[in-house]
Amino acid sequence: MVTIKRMIRREFWYLAFLIPGLCLFTLAVVIPFVMGARYSFTNWDGLARTVHYTGLDNYKRAFTDPDFWKSLVNTFKYAIIITVLVNLIALLLALLLDTYLKFKNFFRTVFFLPSVISIVLSGFIWKYNYAVGFPDLFSKFGIEITSPLGNPDYALFGLILIAVWMGIGSPMIIYIAGLQGVSGELLESAEIDGANMWQSFRNITLPLIAPSITINMLLVLTGSLKVFDMVYVTTSGGPAFSTEVISTFIFKNSFNNFQAGYGTALSMIFFVILVLVTIIQISIFRRREVEQ
Amino acid sequence: MKKRMALVLCTLMFALSITACGTSDNNANTGNAAGGTNDGKTTNEPAPAEPAKDEEPVTISFMHFKSDVTDGVQKIVDQFESENPTIKVDVQPVKYDDYYTVLKTKMAGGDVVDVFTLNSGAQTKLFVDGGYVEDLSGKDFLSNFDESVLKSQATDGKNYIMPLNAGPIAVFYNKKIFTDLGLQVPRTFDAMIEAGKKIKAAGKTAFALGWKDQWTLGMWVGRDLPSNTALVANQPDFFEKLETGAAKFADNPAAKTTIEHAKQLYDLGNKDQLGVDYNGIVDLFAKGEVGMMYMGTWPLADIQKKNPDLYNNSIGYFPYPFSNDESLNKLEFNPDASLAVSSNSPHKEAALKFLAFMASKEGGDAWVKNINSLSYVKGSSTDIAPAVNDLKPYFDKGEMYDSQSYLAKTSIDWGSQFVQVVQNYFFGKSTEDEVIKAMDNWVAKNHK
Repeated sequence: MVTIKRMIRREFWYLAFLIPGLCLFTLAVVIPFVMGARYSFTNWDGLARTVHYTGLDNYKRAFTDPDFWKSLVNTFKYAIIITVLVNLIALLLALLLDTYLKFKNFFRTVFFLPSVISIVLSGFIWKYNYAVGFPDLFSKFGIEITSPLGNPDYALFGLILIAVWMGIGSPMIIYIAGLQGVSGELLESAEIDGANMWQSFRNITLPLIAPSITINMLLVLTGSLKVFDMVYVTTSGGPAFSTEVISTFIFKNSFNNFQAGYGTALSMIFFVILVLVTIIQISIFRRREVEQ
Repeated sequence: MKKRMALVLCTLMFALSITACGTSDNNANTGNAAGGTNDGKTTNEPAPAEPAKDEEPVTISFMHFKSDVTDGVQKIVDQFESENPTIKVDVQPVKYDDYYTVLKTKMAGGDVVDVFTLNSGAQTKLFVDGGYVEDLSGKDFLSNFDESVLKSQATDGKNYIMPLNAGPIAVFYNKKIFTDLGLQVPRTFDAMIEAGKKIKAAGKTAFALGWKDQWTLGMWVGRDLPSNTALVANQPDFFEKLETGAAKFADNPAAKTTIEHAKQLYDLGNKDQLGVDYNGIVDLFAKGEVGMMYMGTWPLADIQKKNPDLYNNSIGYFPYPFSNDESLNKLEFNPDASLAVSSNSPHKEAALKFLAFMASKEGGDAWVKNINSLSYVKGSSTDIAPAVNDLKPYFDKGEMYDSQSYLAKTSIDWGSQFVQVVQNYFFGKSTEDEVIKAMDNWVAKNHK
């Protein structure tokens, strides 16, 4: 009995430190979430002062809305390609910048810089680059190119290029940190045992930086699934819906089409999808990690 | 190690300062920067102490979507403030694309914007129905406007908005290119396309289309389709029927006409039609490389800065010929950015004073001078640019119409959807019939 009391008293301090954060989280996330969820069962237009409850109509509609599924496909296409590319490039850069390269600190800063620029600004920069900068540059060599953002076939890849350019910074830093945690002794003994570079990377480095891979995969995937600002400033879903991602689709429904109720329902569905993706992803990658 | 940290920190600081500049740049569009300029002003001029004795100074907020002429609006507001030292105006410019979203969010969230711009018709009706707009009917300053203008902008028979800005939307053309190729000003759509083909054959760009921006194509579609629907296909109430489900795009022959027109323009447009935005085409036009550009009067100030010679001598302006019947192709003349007062405003008196100023001859002239556009205020000047003088015959003979009046009673926003769907057609990804079918599906889904 006494021990339990003592334990509560001891644990209480941990809880006390959690309370401010928990309060903020409740105030800024949980309460608005619950209040918003209410609207997903209405046909609110976003402006009227009275709302009508329509039950599950919005959810039923979402599952039969081909535009919703199309934007979902676009979102996953975008997010998966980015996750693979960003992690691959970031890991390669990290490996390069973890060696005894002469100006490695300079290059680390350079590759990190795009992440520091605001997304809206880099959206504008790239929009200009694509439409004016590159065509002008290439026309000097006699090559005529047009903006990929203006063609439905390439627009999504144009966006992916911007996102990769912006996104490799932080994962690269995490990978570098992970690589620096890999003990040199292990690599040395592998070398003595006659392992070549690929073998020691495959069998020693990669398993040891698995936690970094997990966290990077997770951050980049959820981050790019939620993309809104960059798509909104560069293409706002066009041309011909080719870059319509789920968040711009929700935005358009809520604000342009005056269907805040339907928009909220879509947000709720998207929330569930995000949670599912995160859980699945964590459980897959956690299994592959090893204790160092 | 320390040195390295310092280097990294310096670079970071540098990068941050770049980003900081960038964001404040963007905010000029979204409104936060307006607060900044205002702060700057209050520190510049010490508060006028004398009038404060008998009247409490009040601050009213004024949100508008004329963000491309932020400076011009600020100048008019400065003029108002210097005449009414007890009233401060907090100007919040917002880009048109985002304007209604911002306004709606603010209103629904209980934030009061004292004075704001609205376009007559559907948007106004929505805010009036929500109970957010003060009824201005019978106010003294409304007598400075033509009765017919007030009537055309009334909502449910009452004047909730005060007409202010007015402007033609027509086609700018490069007179030099036209005379060099021996072209006449086209009066029918086919003649315009013919002229375009000749310009293209001469190695120049026929039409400047900044269709990367939604609104440029949207503006064109939102005028070509109602004009053809009401005047060529004789279905003036089509859009009302569309909203109630009594009509479909498939029943409207004008839908097909507009899609075909769009494709013809697209084929004769500048390179990368959907990749270049409004600023890009104004640049192209100012360089003198483009034959024609469908636009309102907004780019004139910009063109004047970039190429004064072109601006003064060789820009012409002709009514957009939406059909092949010359007698129908009148000049499109639209009201835009009318003013409204919030019904929840705590400073109604000051807000109404601001409206009264804008409705005065002085305010009207200030508008024309600073915004480079026309004002509905009776007797205000019309001298905005040499190119606009080309339209004088149409003004004088009253050969004007307002295609937006056919949309006034509807709240259905089919424009942005149409823009996206028709882009599929440009790239051969769908046929005309599929475009029309996609539109009808969208209407059926969104408006029951």
